[in-house]
Amino acid sequence: MKPNDPGDRQDDSLSAVAVSPEARLSDGRGPAPASSMRRRVGIGVGVCLANAALCALFAPGQEYLTAPGKMNAGHGQLDCTGCHRPAPGSVRQQIQAGTRFLLGLRETPVDFGFRAVENGDCQACHERPFDRHPVYRFNEPRFADARKEIAPQRCASCHREHSGRRITVEPDYCRHCHGELEMKNDPLDVSHATLVRESRWLSCLGCHDFHGNHVMKSSTRFADAFSALSVERYFAGDVSPYARQLRKPARQKRADLEH
Amino acid sequence: MLSVVAPITVYLFVSAPAALPEASAESGKRLTPHEVLEICAAENAAVRELYAKDIVGAGQQVGLRFDEKWEQLKVNAGPLPALFLRETAKSLSRSSVKLGLFLGSDSPVNKSNRFFGPQADALDQMRRDGESRGFFMEDVKLYTAMFPDFAVAPACVDCHNQHPDSPKRDWAMGDLMGATTWTFPSHSVSVSEMLDVIAALRHGFQDAYTRYIEKAKSFSLPPEVGKKWPRQCYCLPTPETFMQEAERRISKPTLDRLLSHR
Repeated sequence: MKPNDPGDRQDDSLSAVAVSPEARLSDGRGPAPASSMRRRVGIGVGVCLANAALCALFAPGQEYLTAPGKMNAGHGQLDCTGCHRPAPGSVRQQIQAGTRFLLGLRETPVDFGFRAVENGDCQACHERPFDRHPVYRFNEPRFADARKEIAPQRCASCHREHSGRRITVEPDYCRHCHGELEMKNDPLDVSHATLVRESRWLSCLGCHDFHGNHVMKSSTRFADAFSALSVERYFAGDVSPYARQLRKPARQKRADLEH
Repeated sequence: MLSVVAPITVYLFVSAPAALPEASAESGKRLTPHEVLEICAAENAAVRELYAKDIVGAGQQVGLRFDEKWEQLKVNAGPLPALFLRETAKSLSRSSVKLGLFLGSDSPVNKSNRFFGPQADALDQMRRDGESRGFFMEDVKLYTAMFPDFAVAPACVDCHNQHPDSPKRDWAMGDLMGATTWTFPSHSVSVSEMLDVIAALRHGFQDAYTRYIEKAKSFSLPPEVGKKWPRQCYCLPTPETFMQEAERRISKPTLDRLLSHR
């Protein structure tokens, strides 16, 4: 450090005030000056407090302290690793591979720390063979426009985690795919074609549960449909207006970690 | 500065642990996505033909029913061939092999399966030359290939001609009824990675057939499940027997295709 460095000057001034010449010259190493001892104790206490704070922040059950937001409805009991799975390799290997990728010496990128959360992480608890709108189907070319608008090929597009809600997409999303809906033998007293023509997209979820996981029968009377408000409350995390009974409740533990 | 950078560099790169393997680290001959999907489509066509003729067609003769609402609890029926494919696709969606499979047409029974855009164009071209088509979907970074889907069994033609929602009622055997669409994320795969793809696909066929057998066991008059086929009795082969027959039909053509890519 240069003599005129501000940091250097500060150290000198502190020493000049705190340490007497006798204390410095008493022997080669000499007794520790009182101020230096205080400083060491202070640093030690600081390190201990910082460690304690870090332990408290990352202790099991305290995830809400470090999470970017409130967990979504039904996810309150999950810990971070329920969704955020460790990336392959050690930290050193991940840094090496990442650096090589940035330098063009490696073909594929790597995740650092944790791998990206993907559909498979959601389906590890929520996989349902009867799903009416399974996300994989939206990877088909004909859904390109819908993908541009709401990216339905990813669970997290409609269920953005750490939002404190259940569903984070606007409740009129059916319009992205069902704009040409017509039914030959329409069971509803107000035809689906009329509802589509009048763009009453907020009414769809009044009768239809998107994934089909509720044990229910859709009404044939439009007047009996659930209100847009009750659907919005459900989106926000309130109880389901459709039915209490589920065809397949979510697993309590990831399917891929059960064995 | 050097005293900080040098030890970190040594720690990270000089005394390095084994490098993380690339997603595709194997050398040797590699298959293009279209070659991968050609093999998959050929296997799928053969297994669907087996299912359509030997399970659905023969089964209808002995009293087995197949219905689009086969999953509903009180429906004593199995999946139609198109829905058998969808079950296979569902199984693939759960696999670590990112293979996508879809079925569609320009005249589908279910309007939600109607092609438009690049898929409709590809089907038009297929009607002219019967050849598969491939393209890349930039938004999802998926290689895509479409393969013609012909009417291979009377069960296909009869069902589509008689269904009240069918927009076309004059299908005949051998007609191009639609197309399968396949997606795959990698721009090339090694032969051993290809084996993983084939294993996932065959697992998908077995999953789809197993779901049917599980449902059949709940019928009010459950068929016998064993080594016999519907052409012999009111019975169904076990998933193992079904897959043995499927593999007998598909393994040699697949091996020949793999050898041709050496």
